Amino acid sequence: MIQQSLYEQVLDYANRANPYPLYAQLRQTPVTRQTDGSYVVSTYREIVSLLHDPRIGSDFRKRSVHDRPPAGLSTNKEQAFKSQVPEVGTEASASNEGSETEVVPSFIGLDPPEHDRIRRQATWPFGPPHKPGRVADMESELICLANRQIDTMKGKSSIDIVEDFAYPIPVTMISKLLGVPPEDQARLHALSEAIIEGIDLDPQKSQEERKRRQEQSGQTFKDLEQYMEALIERHRKHPGSDLLSGLITDYGPDGPMAQPDIVSTASLLLIAGHETTVNLITNGMLTLLRHPDVLERLRREPNLVIRLVEELLRYEPPVQILPNRVALADITIAGTIIQKGSPVILLLASGSRDPARFHDPDKFDPDRRDNMHLGFGCGIHYCYGAPLARLETQIALTELVRRLENPRLAYDQPPYRQSATLRGPRHLIIEIDGVKD
Amino acid sequence: MLRIVVDLNRCESYAQCVFAAPTVFWMKDEESLEYDYAPDDSLLVQVERAAAACPVQAISICWLDEQLEQQGGNHSEQQ
Repeated sequence: MIQQSLYEQVLDYANRANPYPLYAQLRQTPVTRQTDGSYVVSTYREIVSLLHDPRIGSDFRKRSVHDRPPAGLSTNKEQAFKSQVPEVGTEASASNEGSETEVVPSFIGLDPPEHDRIRRQATWPFGPPHKPGRVADMESELICLANRQIDTMKGKSSIDIVEDFAYPIPVTMISKLLGVPPEDQARLHALSEAIIEGIDLDPQKSQEERKRRQEQSGQTFKDLEQYMEALIERHRKHPGSDLLSGLITDYGPDGPMAQPDIVSTASLLLIAGHETTVNLITNGMLTLLRHPDVLERLRREPNLVIRLVEELLRYEPPVQILPNRVALADITIAGTIIQKGSPVILLLASGSRDPARFHDPDKFDPDRRDNMHLGFGCGIHYCYGAPLARLETQIALTELVRRLENPRLAYDQPPYRQSATLRGPRHLIIEIDGVKD
Repeated sequence: MLRIVVDLNRCESYAQCVFAAPTVFWMKDEESLEYDYAPDDSLLVQVERAAAACPVQAISICWLDEQLEQQGGNHSEQQ
């Protein structure tokens, strides 16, 4: 058997529950070149430096070296699709039959100046300067939603935090934000899940299995794209107060967003809304149940949740890895030359546990003051949905802790989702004595 | 009384504070942040959310003692 590199061990599903000791080993060498020509960066200082470096891009089309070439997949479009989706980043046509559909990455997969313009257009109906109160105004609705979900737990002694709580909250909110009708939500849930599960970097899986999943995932992405086109058409005819209607009809100094960009942006937001905050909320409850003293304190001091969520973003972040950057020039860093055109993989979760930056980094400490974590990245691609993710998680954890009586883990550890990048439990079964009103 | 100080040399205009507390912080244009340094005490939770969300930790919150402030005001008038 071929010896796995440390990074391959991180991707290996066997290490999903606790990748942190592997990150510690990786940090012994801040930048390591992989056999496939990609570079893995694991230390805080180097990650931050590269995220602020204009010589690092996010546009896969600028790669000359392709990491992990899948057997039988060779065209640009297929590579485009494969390399983008793990980061929930693209509206690449995933055609395996060589259709002529144009590859249009969403702004997560673009570089300046296109990135900056499309991100400004996408922010116009979502936040400052035009709609500064959009997220803050969702607070009372979020509190109602969290409490409705908790009401469904009444009379049960055992609940699944993922299915009963952490998934429905962000999914309901992103659907509402995008103006997705409630009757379509189940279908989009299935599509989103199939896309993420289709992107499996696990080196233990056979090439054939990975290829099959990628093809399936590509077809699913086309289905999502078609759904979005139809939804956009409906919103164009009957605009509402939602974000998607805003993208279509309410534009700022950059002018209206082009139709392909609306499709890619809406698809990106939909998938990101389905696959990230669920893990932050679940990781939060798991971490609280592993630290009962902190859980008890949160019950007494609800405002502790503000700093606690920041510490979660450092300690158990839902986005562990940014796998899709590319060197736009030769870059010398930490004694290594990253060659132009090479894929660059940034281990955000490792950087946030770097003892050179954080005191006692493996300790979960909600009172931590110096906490410039990498949970939402940094630089121009800083998480677009961060304000919503923060508010959702703050409210979700506050209400859970306030209302659940004597919550405890049914077993530790929980089963994990497949992805090493978007990491979190598949289920989190907890036992409770009751639910307060 | 609630008081806010933003280190504008650190600020990189991520605008996370504006999302969290939109009546306290606002963007004048794409680059420059402005804020109400003395917001109403009832906005404390929003302000705490804004300070915690700042990716460069540029926001400080403090409480001002009213009596002290009056004394300080008198003092400056005397000068």
